[in-house]
Amino acid sequence: MNFSSSQPPPMPPETAELGAGNMPVPVWLMVLLFVLLYAGMVFFDRYSGWFDAEVYMPYASLADLQAFQPRGGGSSLERGRAVYENICALCHNSDGKGKPGQAPLFVASEWVMGSPNRMIRIPLSGLSGSVQVDGTEWNLSMPAMGASLSDDDLADVLTYIRQSWGNKATAITPEQVKAVRAQVGARSQPWTAEQLKAIP
Amino acid sequence: MNYGPLLFLAAFFALAGSWFGFVLTPQAQVGRLQTTNMLGGATLYPQARPGLARQGLEVYRANGCADCHSQQVRQSGTVCNAVLSETGTNLPAVLAALLKLKPALSEPDAGQWLSTLPRPVLEGLKPAEADAAVKVLNGAGAKAAVWIVPVGPDLARGWGKRRNVARDFIFDYPVALGSQRIGPDLANLSARQPDAGWHLRHLYAPRLEVKDSAMPPYRFLFEKRKVERSPSPDAMVLPPGLAPPPGHEIVPKPEALALVAYLLSLRAEAPLFEAPLSVAPGPPAIAPGPPAIAPGPPAIAPGATAGATAGATAGATAGATAGAAAGTTSTNTAPTNAPATP
Amino acid sequence: MNPTASSEPAAASAMDVSCRRPLLVLLLSAAAWLVIASAFALICSIKFHSPDFLAGAAWLTYGRAHPAASSAFLYGFCLQSGLGVSLWLLARLGRTGLAHDWLATAGAMFWNLGVTVGVFGVLAGDRTGFEALELPGYATPMLFIGYALTGICGALTFHQRQQQPLYVSQWFVFAALFWFPWIYSTAQLLLVTFPVRGVMQSAIAWWYADNLRVVWLWLAGLGAVFYLVPKLARRELQNRNLALSAFWLILLFGSWGGIPNSAPLPAWMPALSTVGTVLTTVALLAVSLSVWKTAGRGAGPPGALENLPLRFVRFGALAFLVAGFMRVLGSIPPVSNVTDLTWFGPATDQLNTYGFFAMVNFGAAYWILPRVMGLDFPWARLARAHFWLASLGVVLLAAPLAIAGVLEGLKLRSPDNAFMDVVKATLPCLRLSTMGDLLMALGHAAFLANLAGLAARFYLPRAASLFSSLTLDLHKPAGAKP
Repeated sequence: MNFSSSQPPPMPPETAELGAGNMPVPVWLMVLLFVLLYAGMVFFDRYSGWFDAEVYMPYASLADLQAFQPRGGGSSLERGRAVYENICALCHNSDGKGKPGQAPLFVASEWVMGSPNRMIRIPLSGLSGSVQVDGTEWNLSMPAMGASLSDDDLADVLTYIRQSWGNKATAITPEQVKAVRAQVGARSQPWTAEQLKAIP
Repeated sequence: MNYGPLLFLAAFFALAGSWFGFVLTPQAQVGRLQTTNMLGGATLYPQARPGLARQGLEVYRANGCADCHSQQVRQSGTVCNAVLSETGTNLPAVLAALLKLKPALSEPDAGQWLSTLPRPVLEGLKPAEADAAVKVLNGAGAKAAVWIVPVGPDLARGWGKRRNVARDFIFDYPVALGSQRIGPDLANLSARQPDAGWHLRHLYAPRLEVKDSAMPPYRFLFEKRKVERSPSPDAMVLPPGLAPPPGHEIVPKPEALALVAYLLSLRAEAPLFEAPLSVAPGPPAIAPGPPAIAPGPPAIAPGATAGATAGATAGATAGATAGAAAGTTSTNTAPTNAPATP
Repeated sequence: MNPTASSEPAAASAMDVSCRRPLLVLLLSAAAWLVIASAFALICSIKFHSPDFLAGAAWLTYGRAHPAASSAFLYGFCLQSGLGVSLWLLARLGRTGLAHDWLATAGAMFWNLGVTVGVFGVLAGDRTGFEALELPGYATPMLFIGYALTGICGALTFHQRQQQPLYVSQWFVFAALFWFPWIYSTAQLLLVTFPVRGVMQSAIAWWYADNLRVVWLWLAGLGAVFYLVPKLARRELQNRNLALSAFWLILLFGSWGGIPNSAPLPAWMPALSTVGTVLTTVALLAVSLSVWKTAGRGAGPPGALENLPLRFVRFGALAFLVAGFMRVLGSIPPVSNVTDLTWFGPATDQLNTYGFFAMVNFGAAYWILPRVMGLDFPWARLARAHFWLASLGVVLLAAPLAIAGVLEGLKLRSPDNAFMDVVKATLPCLRLSTMGDLLMALGHAAFLANLAGLAARFYLPRAASLFSSLTLDLHKPAGAKP
């Protein structure tokens, strides 16, 4: 390239714009791509927590995170929260606002803030049929999610629901849960709203 | 074939893909985070920064503090400790349990070991192992608990008690995460340096407080003025080399005070579900305020027990939240050896 | 389509003439912004080991001079020079003149106005706080208008191309033309106009920064590389499919990078970012393979290595590979646990922007402008000096910073190392990098001088003859012919 003169430099001998060779991409490059894709999937499986919004590195998954929650000796609210996230949050959402078409809200819900006797019965045996929650009509079916929980755990999670997200109600004690369990006995049919309203 | 439209569409869909992954989906997950209860209590976290601190964030942004200071505490793992807090009444059983868990301890040493409680019996365990150890100790009548401890180089350095999570920043604009550590990480600064005077002196002349500091002096945040009738209470006390000529004083401008208020509001060590850690129970940092009027139970006929306890517990929880909401929260009361230079 | 040898130069020069003014405005202003950015960057670099340097002025504090430097570089130099080269490529490869070249010239002026207002705003303290998007909101309308005008010119040029089959460079450059306005408008909307909440701001800021500093620069830079390398080495591109696969890989995976592993975001976001970044390795290799096969040692006619633009482009291609690998390494957790939040990130970024994009654009400018103006650069020695200053400068800038980053990261892993000791340990590397900044600033000044000299060489005779013809009119006696 001649930089010394002030004439425009001569054009290269070829006239048309260069074409480009049309040979295939080397195979090893494609193999590398697939190897990296596979490695990426393995990495993602281990490190990503599978799109969970609450799993941060270094926790590998939601279960891993839950294993590290403080326990024993802490307040019932901690334990209650752990149970809630495990069992209830899937449908009723971590913020207690429920999910449309899936589960009603807990925030300022009369069923939560009202009589413990009603509230304890719902997870023990389930609830189905039409029910009014904070002005909205729901007609789904809730399974007996709390039937397998211990008295302590059920009391803790119900207390958590009654005292979170702005709810201010009394705690529910394991004794209350035990008493209700004794009254309900081996009932397997879910409650309806009318039956619950009849209970003081 | 006219590749023009194909190129346009290809570029559009490729960008739309990453937009969907990094803008839309996170917005649904992280963009609508609200305050939540801290683990272990009904206290809400995070609290919105008080007004002066929010102005301080503007000063922080305008002067580019985030170019040298990060606010991203990292965590490389979490471990569990089995902590023994009380021996209870059955001392021989507790001794036996202790020796079973710590075979390396000899019998006479065990007795002495038990005199300085609370103490971690075993450290660095996995959750299941810690649960088992605590069960053994509790079975012997002692009072033991699993203590959750985040670990990592940043945490070992005293830059925080746990990693930063999205909820720490929901009230900030702009979020000043920073990208470099030419200066130390500031996410949990007020826990290790709560002295406003230190911060003002550090801003005026960094090498006064931190030897060999690479931070430039921010003298333009202060003004030198003639002493009026009496010296201002805000006047900086400086050593002879930096002191103003007699009859003058150096006073922080409102920007400096706002910036220091912001720095003092930087704290991110509340235990959360997504960043669990155990904190020592202790009195809250500020006394709870008077109980707010408790909302009565709804019209559905309350049971007798519910009515009796409603007033008391509702009042107590309302009072705690009102008190905690009045100022910055602090759950950490365990003393730490904060290094002299942060 | 094979025009005969005799008609080719004439067609080329007519087309080149249409590019003259926009290209000169774009490249000259880009060079001017580059010198301004280098000056600010040099000041910032000195402040690391002499914090009291120029500490009295509020507008020169590191927190304002640094974003001024990076904004002037990104928006003043990178975007303008990239657009200029892209426009010429679209015209040349489409065998057509620039469509409505006044659009591009007007766009460049609006753009320059926007960047000027923005940089002054940053120095006054109005920076947005988002890295790579620091220019304040009031500069944005001018930037938008400027880009829109220039972009429309480019799109129209592409549309009116005489040669329908696309050459590889056109793929890259056409995609780049649309990439920037999409990412910029998204970022402006969600960060400045209707800000999102909390850490989402950082996520979007990182997404934008990566899309601008990596993807857009790669698209615009590789467009130039894939044109210049075969042209200067006088060989066919080896091969088209490699280049196109690099294009698709960059498009698909390039924009997924950017979220650091240290971020306070749910784990899936940094993980996805890492996967995307690692997958760009294939694109890096494809490009490097293609460049190597076309213009590696032993390829091309003898004496081709003396070709100055080719030197710039080869250096740029090598920097592309190294910076790309550094980026990939820095995203993998075992490495990022050490290098995150250290000097390693800036080192990678500087190598990519200065080492790859700027060098490729210098080579492009040295090749394109003589053709477009019909004149050679006035000082060949200065151009050679520019190459050596710039390449040495980039190496002296990036390598010590990378070493400092790794050193800093390793030392910070152990709490026994006091923070101040770690900072002191990085100082020798920082001093070296200041040398690099100085050399680069000198090289950039040489570039600006050469460009200004070329413009003067072109316009002065014209101005002189215009002046003399005007004054001749004044002096000629009445009734006489001029």
